[in-house]
Amino acid sequence: MKRYAYYLSCINESMTKEVDKSIDLWQKDLDIDFVKLHESTCCGGSNLDYVSPKHFALVNGRNIALAEKLGLDLVTSCNTCLLTIRSAKKVLDESPELREEVNGILKKEGLEYKGTSEVRHLLWVLNEDVGLDTIREKVKVPLTNYSIATFYGCHILRPSTILGKENPLDPTSLDDLVEALGGKTISYEHKNKCCGFHTLLVAEEESLSVASEALGEAIESKADFIVTPCPLCHTVLDGYQTKALKQANIKKSIPVFHLSEMVGLALGYTPRQLGIKRHMVT
Amino acid sequence: MAEHTEGMRDITFRINRFNPQVDNKPYFDDYTIPVEKGITVLRALNYIKEHVDATVSFRAFCQAGICGSCGMRINGISKLACTTQVWDELERCKVENVVKVEPLRNMPLIKDLIVDMDPMVDKMKTYSNWVESIMPEEKMGEKEFLIAEEEFQEYDKATDCILCASCMSECSILRANKAYVGPAILLKSHRMNVDSRDGAHNVRITELVKDHGVWDCTHCYRCQETCVKNIPIMDSIHGVREDALLTRGVKDSSGAKHAEAFMEDIAKKGKLIEATLPIRTNGVGWTLKNLLPMAFKMILKRRTPPPPPLVKPSKNIKKFREEFQEMTAHVKRDQKDHINKSGE
Repeated sequence: MKRYAYYLSCINESMTKEVDKSIDLWQKDLDIDFVKLHESTCCGGSNLDYVSPKHFALVNGRNIALAEKLGLDLVTSCNTCLLTIRSAKKVLDESPELREEVNGILKKEGLEYKGTSEVRHLLWVLNEDVGLDTIREKVKVPLTNYSIATFYGCHILRPSTILGKENPLDPTSLDDLVEALGGKTISYEHKNKCCGFHTLLVAEEESLSVASEALGEAIESKADFIVTPCPLCHTVLDGYQTKALKQANIKKSIPVFHLSEMVGLALGYTPRQLGIKRHMVT
Repeated sequence: MAEHTEGMRDITFRINRFNPQVDNKPYFDDYTIPVEKGITVLRALNYIKEHVDATVSFRAFCQAGICGSCGMRINGISKLACTTQVWDELERCKVENVVKVEPLRNMPLIKDLIVDMDPMVDKMKTYSNWVESIMPEEKMGEKEFLIAEEEFQEYDKATDCILCASCMSECSILRANKAYVGPAILLKSHRMNVDSRDGAHNVRITELVKDHGVWDCTHCYRCQETCVKNIPIMDSIHGVREDALLTRGVKDSSGAKHAEAFMEDIAKKGKLIEATLPIRTNGVGWTLKNLLPMAFKMILKRRTPPPPPLVKPSKNIKKFREEFQEMTAHVKRDQKDHINKSGE
């Protein structure tokens, strides 16, 4: 059994609880064990880095140090947490002075940031560690009848200098996973574009316009549903879908699944068990 | 039938055409020409113009990635035609051996592949994208400015910008609203703001935090990923924000309030308190008007974030708070040192 330190994202603790609920259901089926880091704190959601760069380094140095204490890699199922914590790791790895300053504070809690744990996304763990062949073998209810629009979200792809896992212009990891689960993916331009989440409260009209373009193309492409590895993208594409499509004068709608729910469905869990009824668009 | 000798191929360029004097809307023309390995898209376009159709219009000058004139979308991505090898594009073609060439997005189309750069130039004026020298004019020429290496490092990369507008073309928010400042302008603004020869910081920052300014960036990183000079544009955008929040205290905007809420919540509970985030960002009136209709459905779906008292703090929060406060003391000490240093 492969073990990982699992980072608790704020949004999955409050609005999108179905993400962690789904993972809890199927992790053992895929022979993985996520050890939840209850001591971890909010990463700063791609804001703390400019509000206070030093607090940003402390908070995320600590988040990573908690995983390092267990000798495990840190795994998250939120794209923005992924980018934010990886950005902090890069800053800490490149600056011995900052590392020393942060560690000077962390040692009071018996923690030390060493830089030994990787910061990874759930999608990467499924593709690279569990492996698509193993996943294929474990599928109980293949997604054979579905055309699926993959929506990667920005912060698992860009900037490639910090993420660098795959070509941000033509990502394939989520498509590969969908195919391993027996589904078919559709080709559409917005799969690597933005959902608009990070300006929802600051420039709502613009955010909804960004979201509606992606939703509109997925609907146009006759996809049965969208799947995303990011709960923030899900919040816009599902939670704000009605509002976004109304603004764009699009009459249809499309369900949006979390990556963890889609895996759960293919492994034989029911929509009810996976918390899918909590979605705004059903 | 495409010719397939090694190093030579027949390739089709599917070019956006539009002449406002005769066309109602843009369309595509296909030009199939023999292309040698090593040829750039710009040279291919020149070949088409010289040998096939002289009416194909595009903007180009230096042919060496210096002047920034030939920005266009090649197979859907904004880049320079003069530094893009046709051969490299072949694996990215949606239709085999067909390279799609379109004008930059988010700017008015003038003809074929030529867009109007005036809106970008106008924004550079609005946001004072030049150094407003702190030296009185009568003193100029008498004394030089000495720039420390450390300061130069802060804007070294930003000075690589050639104003090709590829970043503007890829920007998610500019696509949604043409009034948005845009990445190239934010990059330049920050480059000027951190220049010690400049005296217009406050004027610039005041403009940048207004509507359609720096807070409207949605962090999609498409500008940075597409930059033909590999400039970390988001560092500058975050730099403007940091500047607005810390250095000059321009906090009276929803963007600033939103960003600071993260800091407050982490300090308090180690977790984001999402339920009150809209109110803290935009006030009660906005929240009721914009989110109330959704809130009812969210309650039914049990999707509302918990009210503040029910947000469970992270485990070991006391220890974490002490650490957070200790770092606050470090930051205050740094700021004091900085003030003393600049006063010397």
